[in-house]
Amino acid sequence: MTQSLKDKLVILLLAALGTAFMVTFIAIEEQTEIFALLLVAAALIVAAAKFGVIKAISQCLSRNEKLMNGAVIAAVLVVVFWFREDHFPLLMIATVMMYVIACFGLNMQFGYTGVVNFAGAAFFGIGCYTAAVLGDTSVPLLMVIALGGIAAAIIGSILIIPVLRTRGHYAAVVTIAFGLLFRTFLEVNDTLGGPQGLRVPGMNLFGWDFNSNIEISENIELSFYMNYVILALIMVILAFVLMRRIERSWIGLNFDAVRLDETAAACFGIDIKRWKITAFTLGNFLAGTAGALYAMMLGFIAPSNFAFSDSLILVSIVLLGGMGSLWGTILAAGLVVLLPEKLQAIQEYRFLIYAIVMILILLFRPQGILPRGLRAYIPGWRG
Amino acid sequence: MEQQQETVLAFRGLTRRFGGVVALNQFNMELTNRQIVGLIGPNGSGKTTSFNVLTGIYAANGGSIEFLGQDITSWPAQKVYEAGVARTFQRSRLCLELSIFDNIMIGNHKRLNHGIMFNVFQRKALQKQITENHEEARKLLQIFNPALADKMFEPVGTLRMIDRRRIEICRALISHPRLLLLDEPSAGMTHEETRELMEDILEVREMIDGLSIILVEHEMGMIERVTDKCIVLNFGQKICEGAYRDVASDKLVQEAYLGGE
Amino acid sequence: MDVGLLGQFVVNGMMLGMMYALVAVGFTLFFGVLDVIKFSHGDVLMVGTFAGFSTYLGLTAIGIDNAFVQLVGVLVVSIASMALLGAIIARYLVLPLKSAPPLNTLLVTLMLGTVLRESIRLFYPDGSNPKHFPSLLPTDAWSFGSFTLRADSVILLIGGLLVIIGVNVLINRTRLGLAIRAVAQDEETAKCMGINFKMIVLLTFALGSGVAAFAGVMNGLYYNEINFGMGLLLGVIGFSAAIVGGLGNIYGAILGGFLFAGLQTLGAVALPFASAYKDVFAFAVIIALIAWRPTGLIAEKTSERV
Repeated sequence: MTQSLKDKLVILLLAALGTAFMVTFIAIEEQTEIFALLLVAAALIVAAAKFGVIKAISQCLSRNEKLMNGAVIAAVLVVVFWFREDHFPLLMIATVMMYVIACFGLNMQFGYTGVVNFAGAAFFGIGCYTAAVLGDTSVPLLMVIALGGIAAAIIGSILIIPVLRTRGHYAAVVTIAFGLLFRTFLEVNDTLGGPQGLRVPGMNLFGWDFNSNIEISENIELSFYMNYVILALIMVILAFVLMRRIERSWIGLNFDAVRLDETAAACFGIDIKRWKITAFTLGNFLAGTAGALYAMMLGFIAPSNFAFSDSLILVSIVLLGGMGSLWGTILAAGLVVLLPEKLQAIQEYRFLIYAIVMILILLFRPQGILPRGLRAYIPGWRG
Repeated sequence: MEQQQETVLAFRGLTRRFGGVVALNQFNMELTNRQIVGLIGPNGSGKTTSFNVLTGIYAANGGSIEFLGQDITSWPAQKVYEAGVARTFQRSRLCLELSIFDNIMIGNHKRLNHGIMFNVFQRKALQKQITENHEEARKLLQIFNPALADKMFEPVGTLRMIDRRRIEICRALISHPRLLLLDEPSAGMTHEETRELMEDILEVREMIDGLSIILVEHEMGMIERVTDKCIVLNFGQKICEGAYRDVASDKLVQEAYLGGE
Repeated sequence: MDVGLLGQFVVNGMMLGMMYALVAVGFTLFFGVLDVIKFSHGDVLMVGTFAGFSTYLGLTAIGIDNAFVQLVGVLVVSIASMALLGAIIARYLVLPLKSAPPLNTLLVTLMLGTVLRESIRLFYPDGSNPKHFPSLLPTDAWSFGSFTLRADSVILLIGGLLVIIGVNVLINRTRLGLAIRAVAQDEETAKCMGINFKMIVLLTFALGSGVAAFAGVMNGLYYNEINFGMGLLLGVIGFSAAIVGGLGNIYGAILGGFLFAGLQTLGAVALPFASAYKDVFAFAVIIALIAWRPTGLIAEKTSERV
């Protein structure tokens, strides 16, 4: 059997395995069963790492990037269609996707460029509130998503001067202060609903109402969340392509140079300000679009969704996955969103558990669970 | 030839202070086309400071810098590089987690297309630019160490010190600068390695039109072998200038090095 | 404006400023010796307040109800236990990350802050609800027209001032302070001079955390209410204050603390139609100040070798 055929079979097998795992994980409710499933999965991964299988698989995947991407999308579609009639699983899946988009934005900022942002939830929130405010106007609703991103980018530009002029701790405090400012502002501002928040009308695209169930025939009725899952999936794919293309270009190289050594970068003509502004603005844009869609899906938003601890969760996802690692972000977002939803035992303790896990990660595996590899400008090409 | 005498760089009364310390005091120097000048002096005499002021990392407190007929005294680092000045650093400043190719391409910044549209949407054109520059970087690396040319997609952090130096020099040379600033290239290397490195640099010099070099170095054998003239700094002041042989026998210079009163 | 109200604003502002300054001093001490930010500082303060509160409950339970004894007990337990906690945090979380990027230390301690906060919320009896902190200070009051000056406020302000002066004397006049300043200047040289670097770092963290515990008890005595989330905002404000003043500089921290309190008070006074916006106003000014003076009002000494 040739190498490439073997690779293809491995990928198909992995995709099937992944799909089966996701479907089982989301479907089962019994707590002991969930624990057992997670234990089995963890044991499998540890064993695979021990016998070098993980390494072989990752080489195989990097050889067949296109196929892998396709297989992942197919797997997600299978999982989504499996739960086509169930509101809650679809809501969870869509939530994961929106976190992924927002965290891609953060990755652009500090994973790639080293611009710290501890106000991720605030920029996500700007997108949410944009959707809420525009919801009752006649703005086409697909446009609302773009406008959510633009609003986040524009409001973020207020911070550009302090962000450019500061580094390290000083920059961190600027964004932390902004995050607190944003939430306090929402809580005291009556036009934006104050602490009670706002109702957000659902999407309506070319007469297609996103917030009613989809009747296919008399006995098949799909959950209305299906609309959001599909739209979110498309957005994740677009964001992923954007992130990947930027990473694998001179822009990605400039970002890295700015993050790793500003002085050396400046000595080789790299315009630090330009690339920091680019990364900061694009990152906030992504977070804003995710927020706009999220608000429409939930139908209701309040300031308490955008607390400092929510910003910390976004940062945790990026770190847990590995700075600048796109697949790492996807995996970490899945873990961080799904685990507490499934394991009711830890629901109450989830912030505590996140925090402990993050401390362990920072102490013992600072590169994250799926560390970002070296830049491969053209997949499979090594000169 | 007329071009041989062209002045590439001139410092006129260049001064830089840090608080009360005068790191560079009324420094005058000139560098002509294709010249190699050695900048020597005890630690803290202002050698690296003159590089930092020249490349725009520090602002000058007085005097002027002229490069290829333009006054570049107050230019930011980016513009100085665009004009054709490239440098290495005393303590290696490579991006250790990036690949060899990435590090060299950082030095090639002015010859790459950084437009967002180009980078995100014109992937075919971008890939052509990548492969072309890859080939060029490969040729350059081959002069220094052919083994490195086959490892262009490996992280710099895993390499030996001498290979890191080589990559730093390739990063500076890839953009075909008119002036190369080498800040103690021999630091942390053996005599043999230093000699090898310098010979490679001289070989590359033949390929780049009108490349002048300023070399900061403590290794006097190297200074003697490669420089056309030497400038000695002490406490930020130029105390001597001339051919190495003359400079080495100068009384003031010996005092400066031996710490004489 | 009514004099009584104005006086109330001034006393309140000074009280806030004192607390912020005490927290900011901790940030600036830690940054001085290790160039790190220990973000859990505000939550250490909160845990200290709860430790003090538990001491009060314990003393009451065993029948000691003399307010002065209780106050001393609360202060001693709170300060001592937080000094110990601060040293433990330094030993097991901050020092191991010494060679990692500085952002990692900030993140680890951010997460530790969450651990402390959540632990109190989840494991302290009925921890998710606010607790009534007892008034252990004399409740006399003097009236000046429409303005009433309470004795406990005066005592708290004097106490805070004494602690700040004490820290200042300790840093500038004692051998320990000399060692701390030496480490802050240049770690390597300090080590060569025979200074036990690790010990000095631990002592500095103990000192800063003890000061924070004092500020926490002060907060409890003044507002008579404590809750598990009180440390987060105090921590962020203390951090901002230290940054605005200039990290590593004690006077900068004090200046920053009072500045922030002043801004909040000003926000409440000057925006009577929208006093709810006082925090928005204060944070906006902080961001603007950092944009204007990126390394603080009293600039941090920086020297990057190139």
